Amino acid sequence: MHIQELILRLQRFWADRGCLIGQPYDLEKGAGTMNPLTFFGALGPRPWNVAYVEPSRRPADGRYGENPFRLYKHLQMQVILKPSPARVQDLYIESLEAMGVDLRKHDLRFEEDNWEAPTLGAWGVGWQVMLDGMEITQFTYFQQVAGMDCRPVSAEITYGIERICMFLDGIDNLYDLTWGEVKTDDGVFPVSYRTVRQREEFELSAYSFEHADLDLHWQLLAAFEKEGWRLLKDHGHYLSGYEQALKMSHTFNVLDARGAVSTTERPGIIKRIRDLACGCARAYVKNVENVENVENVENVENVEREQAQPGAAKGEGVRA
Amino acid sequence: MSGTRTLLLEIHCEEIPSRFLAPLAAELTETAQAFIREQLQTELATERFYSPRKLAWRIPGLPVVQADQTDTQTGPPRRLCVDDQGAPTQTGLKFAEKWGVGFDQVRFTQPAGKKEPCAEVTLVRRGRPTLELLAEALPRLISALHVPKAMRWGSSEFQFVRPIRNLLCLLGSEVVPFVLDGVPAGSTTWGHRLYHMDHPAPVAVPSPEAYEETLERAGVVVSCAERRARLERQLHTLAAQAGGRVVADGHLLDTLAEIVEYPTIIAGAFPESFLALPKEVLVTSLAEHQKAFCVEDAQGVLLPAFLTAANRPDDPDGFLRSGNEWVLRARLYDARFFFDEDRKQPLRDRLEKLKHLTFQRELGSYYDKTQRIAALSEAMASSLGLDGTDGRLVAESCKCDLVTLMVGEFPELQGIMGGEYLKREQAHEKVWMAVKEHYQPVSADGPIPATNLGGILAIADKLDTVAGCFAIGQIPTGSKDPLALRRAGQGIVRILFERGWNLNPMAIATLALDGIGGKATRPAPETLEALEGFLRDRVGYQLEQAGYPGPVRRSALAAGWTDLVDLKARCEALSAFADDPRFQSLAQSAKRIGNILKDEAPGAALDAGRLQEPEEQALAGLLARLEAVAEQDLLLHELAELAGPLEAFFNAVMVKCEDPALRAARLALLRRLQGAFLRVADFSLWQ
Repeated sequence: MHIQELILRLQRFWADRGCLIGQPYDLEKGAGTMNPLTFFGALGPRPWNVAYVEPSRRPADGRYGENPFRLYKHLQMQVILKPSPARVQDLYIESLEAMGVDLRKHDLRFEEDNWEAPTLGAWGVGWQVMLDGMEITQFTYFQQVAGMDCRPVSAEITYGIERICMFLDGIDNLYDLTWGEVKTDDGVFPVSYRTVRQREEFELSAYSFEHADLDLHWQLLAAFEKEGWRLLKDHGHYLSGYEQALKMSHTFNVLDARGAVSTTERPGIIKRIRDLACGCARAYVKNVENVENVENVENVENVEREQAQPGAAKGEGVRA
Repeated sequence: MSGTRTLLLEIHCEEIPSRFLAPLAAELTETAQAFIREQLQTELATERFYSPRKLAWRIPGLPVVQADQTDTQTGPPRRLCVDDQGAPTQTGLKFAEKWGVGFDQVRFTQPAGKKEPCAEVTLVRRGRPTLELLAEALPRLISALHVPKAMRWGSSEFQFVRPIRNLLCLLGSEVVPFVLDGVPAGSTTWGHRLYHMDHPAPVAVPSPEAYEETLERAGVVVSCAERRARLERQLHTLAAQAGGRVVADGHLLDTLAEIVEYPTIIAGAFPESFLALPKEVLVTSLAEHQKAFCVEDAQGVLLPAFLTAANRPDDPDGFLRSGNEWVLRARLYDARFFFDEDRKQPLRDRLEKLKHLTFQRELGSYYDKTQRIAALSEAMASSLGLDGTDGRLVAESCKCDLVTLMVGEFPELQGIMGGEYLKREQAHEKVWMAVKEHYQPVSADGPIPATNLGGILAIADKLDTVAGCFAIGQIPTGSKDPLALRRAGQGIVRILFERGWNLNPMAIATLALDGIGGKATRPAPETLEALEGFLRDRVGYQLEQAGYPGPVRRSALAAGWTDLVDLKARCEALSAFADDPRFQSLAQSAKRIGNILKDEAPGAALDAGRLQEPEEQALAGLLARLEAVAEQDLLLHELAELAGPLEAFFNAVMVKCEDPALRAARLALLRRLQGAFLRVADFSLWQ
């Protein structure tokens, strides 16, 4: 299975089941959950289904492009379904079939695995989904995000793209995966994961383990924090404020990969990131509640207007 | 309607965490039994079933109808209810009306404690159909279950361990009609996902008795014990086919039985080159990451094979085997990477790094801890007369593996990896062995360190933890023991006890506390007092584990507990008399002696010449013999012989008599006897 083919199939599958197809958020982050489409989307009462691919950076997992199983940056396919549907497990199983997995021939298990993201004040319960003994998906029912109860509860499904491709093809080295095929006038050229990503893995690993300027990163951590609170407090801007929390998180991960964070310092820094992220989430909820009240009023007005003009509701003779 | 019916309830959920299955099934059973006791006034056996998606029980013998219940209500005196002509008064009519009966059903009797006859009615509450009672009670009972880590889902506020997707509830062939969080109970359920690929409809369960059989046909074995038994049989067969035996792991087998609906063992292989890894690494990596068993030959050498469970009956295209083998290769590749990386630096070179690894905020780093352990083990070795030359070396090496990659990945390999790395650095066998086994015993029945150095290191490490935590006020209370200090304390006592080392636990605890020194946040005398109670309890528990009966333990402990070698010998000797009726009598007498002496100041020495009665003279004679006996067993025989004469003494002699000299002599005799008893035990606690 080519990387791009798997992504396309999953996107098609979830779009057909009523999900928006989102895009990766263009800042470094450790997991798809940190994308505002999930972090803010999981808050508040509004129905929200979204699926997207998120490149996820884990500086400590960097292996200079040499380890056949581990990556500095891997691809997550993230799905959020709010509220979690009653058939959510069945939907997920259908998505495996859409990938080309014939479940009549495989062993599928849902084993307990609860999830917690201390920098986001978020936790949930769920499973790691095991296919023939391999973890292919994280499945979580969000209980809290940003320290607030999720009402309704979102189901989060996170597929590890590279792992699933390797597993489906029985490949022992992820760099041997095929990303896709390039067709030109001269023929068809398969392009490997190695070609697309190995040099990047090498340089990013070298950066986080050797070249990153630690003093600069400590300064950045403080600067992003200050900037974030300024945006949030002075301007009420929770989106640009949250971006600063994301930057803090990645900066912290780089410092951590270098062993520059002591065990005693760690909880304090995590709390600083969480405080900013949670502050942004509270501002978001407050703002959205106001907006939704307004939207609801508008909807009521529309209904009234439509009832007054029955023809308009069916769209007869209406032209913009 | 009459007779009895069988009740079946099944809660079908999305996959329930395996660790919660057994406790939830047990609680569900208790809830059912309490309901039956209360509403149906009967005790019925309950069969429980659970599988990854199901919690169920079946109860045969429920009466179809609840028994009628009668209830008597008493009212005002007759004179207020009936007038002179014998007609009902307003009050009388009101009383009848209150209980919904005609006045003709009101009787007049004189209740106990009343001076005159009063109105009385007997009400019969008709028993309700059990079906109705269940339909009302079950939603309430299920909602009230204590669910650990409860969750919400969808838009509902309902909480349970995982989302409930179906309810099956039958009383005989009838559905018990109730609804829980929008899910109605019915007569169908769901089988294995694989089964439903060809059978989209739910599975109809015709009767409670047909439950297991119906589900087995739909691919689910609902009894966990049955799944475990099948897995175990297959494990042994397949291990033999692979040319070896299973490396046993009861806990892993339990888990596997809990995470599959249909139990099958599949076998696989891994590249032989991975056998260069230490056995513990392979066993741990396979069990932790892949829930797989290793296979070993008759000599205990691992074979390049593994066994794990699948949740289906077969492996039609070999995907299960190849999939598991693929994952295992990835895991072992990681393990080998850690193993190779870790060995690029000698283990002990990491000592500096331990300065940055916090042991406990108040107690400093692991480096500080190793220094304390070193001093403590040297002192212990010298008081045991053992060779302590390598004490400092092992103490400074034993925590270095905490900062290796392998222990970072597999914390349970702490100690073991340190030992394995030292072994490969050509360290002396006693050194790497000591490091490897210093966390032992890791469980109540796990082995204790086999080497002297390992035993000393293990005690020093644990004692430093216990004394340190006590010194900063981290003392276990009730069920709260987050730092597992009781387990550490038990380990210390068990090693001393089983090795037969004559070390006074309080003496070494004092040394350990000295080592903590200025880091303590509580005054030392307070800490020592707490440690004394704590260690004494651990010793008591050790005696219990060793199988000594209650009277033996209590009375032996009370006569001194810090000389463990002597304590063990006394318990051994006392055990022979555990059921001896003479000791019961001795216990009574010992109690009397205790009571008599309680308020008496220690008097003069015994003047046997002053004793008058033959019973007391006989006792004085026996006392002399008793005091001359040095050997524990003989002493107990003498004590047993003493029971009769003591009884005779108390029957014949009044100790606190008028004559002061005689009284002093008798008290002195008793005091000497008490002293002789206490060489072995405090018999007043022998009950």
